[in-house]
Amino acid sequence: MSANAATASTIFGVFMVLTVALGLLAVRGRGGAGGIAEWSVGGRSLGTVFIWVLMAGESYTSFSYLGAAGWGYNYGAPVLYVIAYMSCGYAIGYLVGPTLWSYARRHGLVSITDMVAHRYGRPWLGALVAILATVCLLPYIQLQITGMGVVVSTISYGAISLNWAYFIAFAVTTAFVVVSGLRGSAWVSVLKDVLVIGTLGFLAIYVPVHYFDGYGPFLHRLVAEKPQWLTFTGHGGSGLNGTWFVTTSFLNSLTVVIFPTTVAGYLGARSADALRRNAILLPCYNVLLFVPMLLGMAAVFVIPGLTGAGSNLALFKLVVDSLPAWAVGLTGVAAALSSIVPMAVFMLVIGTMWGRSVLGAVPALAERPQRQRLAGQVVVVVSGTLALLMTYTAPNTLVRLSLISYEGMAQLVPMILLGLVWRKLTLWGALSGLAVGGALVCALVFTENDPVHGVNAGALALGVNVVVALAVSWLGPKPADDRPDEEVLAGDPVPSEAV
Amino acid sequence: MLKRPALLWLLAPYALFLGALPLVDRVRPTVLGLPFLFFWMLVATLLTPVGVFLAWRGDRKRGRA
Repeated sequence: MSANAATASTIFGVFMVLTVALGLLAVRGRGGAGGIAEWSVGGRSLGTVFIWVLMAGESYTSFSYLGAAGWGYNYGAPVLYVIAYMSCGYAIGYLVGPTLWSYARRHGLVSITDMVAHRYGRPWLGALVAILATVCLLPYIQLQITGMGVVVSTISYGAISLNWAYFIAFAVTTAFVVVSGLRGSAWVSVLKDVLVIGTLGFLAIYVPVHYFDGYGPFLHRLVAEKPQWLTFTGHGGSGLNGTWFVTTSFLNSLTVVIFPTTVAGYLGARSADALRRNAILLPCYNVLLFVPMLLGMAAVFVIPGLTGAGSNLALFKLVVDSLPAWAVGLTGVAAALSSIVPMAVFMLVIGTMWGRSVLGAVPALAERPQRQRLAGQVVVVVSGTLALLMTYTAPNTLVRLSLISYEGMAQLVPMILLGLVWRKLTLWGALSGLAVGGALVCALVFTENDPVHGVNAGALALGVNVVVALAVSWLGPKPADDRPDEEVLAGDPVPSEAV
Repeated sequence: MLKRPALLWLLAPYALFLGALPLVDRVRPTVLGLPFLFFWMLVATLLTPVGVFLAWRGDRKRGRA
């Protein structure tokens, strides 16, 4: 092991130990008590600041380091959709967050699967949605494992092999999430944010100065030499045009507000007003996303010729190329934590959904939060192991699945958002919409027809989904449900009352 | 919704990022060296929290009234 590798790896190792320690510290004195609600939604007690760092932490994944820079490198402008959908999604989260939060709090619910089970009065529907959502979330866990593995291997100058790096990613995250839950994830998010803001802020200044003598010359060269990168359709004949940008950003902005991990963040909040303040603060974080995008485009000049998965390393090649080992180590830690925090919340959500909505149906677990929590923790280990095994044995299967994850998850939007505010949407309407929309997404994606004439396949499917849901609700059977509207529907708690 | 008109501010990012796209999808003029599309997206990103803040302030005023 070279001196550089030793330095960077040591820094990395120290921070990994620190991460798990922080997770333990976060739940000290509360760990055993509280059952599944403490573990999965932090006992609904997190204030504005913790919710902010947690939700920023979830959405700012290793994709931001690898994918955003990689897309910037390959395509240019199309990568802006990430900023667009997050900004739009955070804005409507101002309304959706408090609505879901108060609904869950009123009825003692801990996840979206719980919510649909309650709304439609069918526990099996919760179990069904939990299984569907797990299929959509597993690929994300695998992507995070892969992403973190690549980063760890790169920053150790190859001293840690890819396979070991994958295992480290899995082990640290699983151990962390089992012991700590949502509260611990919020604590580690603080450490992560400090490192992410620090390293990206530094790189934003350092890279243009080091390679181009400052921003002026860098941007000048970019505009003069690479204009194809700077407008839609972007570089490289990707077909990602303006229509694709608008439909994808629109669809994702709706999906992100009901994404199970976002909802976990909502439900962890102490009050509806904490979520509203958070909706103001959260979009500020998106400014940071411009950094990896610009650095990705800077890499086009510095290290031309990266292709395929190699382009994902655009940012790290710059870092390793231009910085001393300790700085490489710190950047690696920031990127690794950017995998660990979202991965932890993904696993936590899967554990919660299963502990409550699938296994909660088992008589021995029903109405027993302590046992549901234990069951959830077992599910976390199982799902993490599954994702790790698939990383080793079938790396491409899950990557292909991840293509449909977001667009598939989008098909839950009518069932959840429309269903919670509109009583006339029936169980069968929501289910038919979901089935048709889901099938259409799979068909279009797997026949490689996404985007369809520039339109995001998921957005098209969502349109069909809504039409089918409305038609079946109107014409189809109407299940009897004599609960009053206040019991079934959700509403944004009036701000003046909630403060 | 009609009782809380300030909530319309939440649609501001949709207008800025998505609605305005056909007008801003261009390299020139550059602003502070930034190609125009990226400059616009940066402005939209900075204005989004302002939009949400205005919605929040509208709710606050109603709460006091």
